[in-house]
Amino acid sequence: MTLGFSDVHFSYPALSVPALTGATLRFAAGEAVALVGRNGSGKSTLMLLANGILRPGQGAVTLDGQAVRYDRRGLLDLRSQVGVVFQNPEEQLFSASVYQDLSLGPLNLGFSSVEARERVLHAAGRCDLLNLLDRPTHALSGGEKARAALAGVLAMGPRFLFADELTNSLDPWMRANVLEIFADLLADGCTVVLATHDHALAASWAQRAVWLDAGRVRADGPADVVLTALRQQLPPAFSHRRQTADARPPAAVSAGLNEVPL
Amino acid sequence: MQHIDRFAYANRLTRLHPAYKVGCSALALVLCLGVPHPAAGLSVLAAMLMLAIAWAGLPSAFVLKLALGEASFLALGVLGVAVSVSTSASAMPNVRMGPLWFSVSPDTLWTASVLFARALGGAAAMNFLALTTPVVAIVDLLRALRVPALLIDLMTLIYRFTFTLFDSFGRMTLAHEVRLGFRDGRRSLRSAADIGANLFVEAFRRSRRLDLALQGRGWDGALRVLPHAYDHPRWLNRGAR
Repeated sequence: MTLGFSDVHFSYPALSVPALTGATLRFAAGEAVALVGRNGSGKSTLMLLANGILRPGQGAVTLDGQAVRYDRRGLLDLRSQVGVVFQNPEEQLFSASVYQDLSLGPLNLGFSSVEARERVLHAAGRCDLLNLLDRPTHALSGGEKARAALAGVLAMGPRFLFADELTNSLDPWMRANVLEIFADLLADGCTVVLATHDHALAASWAQRAVWLDAGRVRADGPADVVLTALRQQLPPAFSHRRQTADARPPAAVSAGLNEVPL
Repeated sequence: MQHIDRFAYANRLTRLHPAYKVGCSALALVLCLGVPHPAAGLSVLAAMLMLAIAWAGLPSAFVLKLALGEASFLALGVLGVAVSVSTSASAMPNVRMGPLWFSVSPDTLWTASVLFARALGGAAAMNFLALTTPVVAIVDLLRALRVPALLIDLMTLIYRFTFTLFDSFGRMTLAHEVRLGFRDGRRSLRSAADIGANLFVEAFRRSRRLDLALQGRGWDGALRVLPHAYDHPRWLNRGAR
C-alpha cells in the first residue's frame, strides 16, 4: 500500500504565498518518516492534504496509485487508511468521556456497535488507556490527552499515521511511551510520519526524513543524511552551542551536580 | 461547577443507570410541585439530602453547604412574597419605616413558606441528580430517549468547551497577573476586557481546529458515539433471576 503526492500545489485563500509548491512524495508501508522543516514550511498542510481535509490546488494525492476522490465515499475510504493526529491533543477531544471520544471514528466508518467497541478497546489497550476509559477528557493530563487523541485515530485502523508535533510537549517518559506505540504500529506494517522540530529524536527514530522548506520538498532520503544537511542550515549561534554541549564529557557534567538522595 | 463535576464522577452511584437517578429526581420534583404544602418540599429536601449523603456517599459538608447556599438565596427571594409594602397602615401587624408600612399576613406567610419549601425541595432534587450523574450519562439517557441529535451534540460540545475555556481563562488571567494587569481598578478593567475579547477569539480558533480534527475522523455532521455500560440496582437483578 502506498500514499503518494504527485506535484501537489496548495495555497490558502487569504495568503499570497503558497503553502506547498510541487510536492512529490511517496510513502510506502511500514516506513518511519520524520517530517522536518521550519514553522510555516508546509508540514501541517501536507498532513491535511494526506487526510483529504484540504484538496490540492494542482497535482494529486494518490492511494495505491489511484487519485483520491473527494466525494463522501472517497473521503471515508481515505480517512479509514490515513489518520492524522494534530499538534494540540486538547483540541481534538470533543466528548465528555474518553471511551465515547474513541468510538467516534469507528462508528463514522460504519462499524457496528460491537465492532466499534472492539476497536475502541484495542486502541485503548495499545495506548495504555484501558483504566481511563470512563474518565472525562477534561480531567486527563497532557500526556494522557496526547494518548487519547492518538487512540481516537488508531481506533479507525489507519495504514498511514501522520502525527503533527505530537511528541513536542511531552515529557521524556511519555514521549518514550508514544514512540513505543509507533514501534508497534511500524511492526504491524503501518507507516508513521512524524512532524517534529526535535532533530535528535528524528535522527534516532526515523529511517527516512523529508525536509520541507518554504512549501517545497528540499530533501528526501535517509534520515541521517537529510538531518546532517538540515543542521548545516541552522543559525550559527545555535550550532555552536550544540557542539559545545555535545563536546562536554559526561563526567564533567555529572561532577557539577549536587545529587539529592530520594 | 468543577466540584460538582468531580463529585459526579466519584460517588457510589456514578455507574448506576442514569434512568434511576433521573426518575428519582423527577418523582421528587413532581411531589414538590404537586403538593401545595411546605411539608412536601421539606420532606423531599430531607430525603434528597439523605440519598445524596447516605446512598451516594457524597461528603455531607459539601452537600449541606450547597443546600444552605440555595436556602439563603431562596429566603431572600421569598421575602418579597411574605412582606407587603404600602404607603398606608393596614389591619395586619405592621412596621413603619419612613413613609412606608411593612406588613405580614398569614396568607402571604403561607404562600412564601410553600414557595420556599417547594423551590428548596426542587433544588435538592436537582442537586442529587447533578452530584451523582456525570453529564455523559445524562447524554446517554437523552440519546436513548431519542432526543434530537443536534441538541445532544450541542450539549456535549458546550459541556466540553466550558472546561476548555475555563482552562484558557485561567491561563490568560495568570498571564495578565504576572504583568501586573490587575494592579489597580483601571488596569483590571482593561485586562478583563482583553481577556474577554481573547477568549472569544480563542473559542473561535478552537472550534475551527476541532472541526478539522473531527473531519479527519470521518465526521459528517452527527457525533455518533457508543453508550457506556451502566449498573442496575441489585434488588432488580435479584427479581429478574
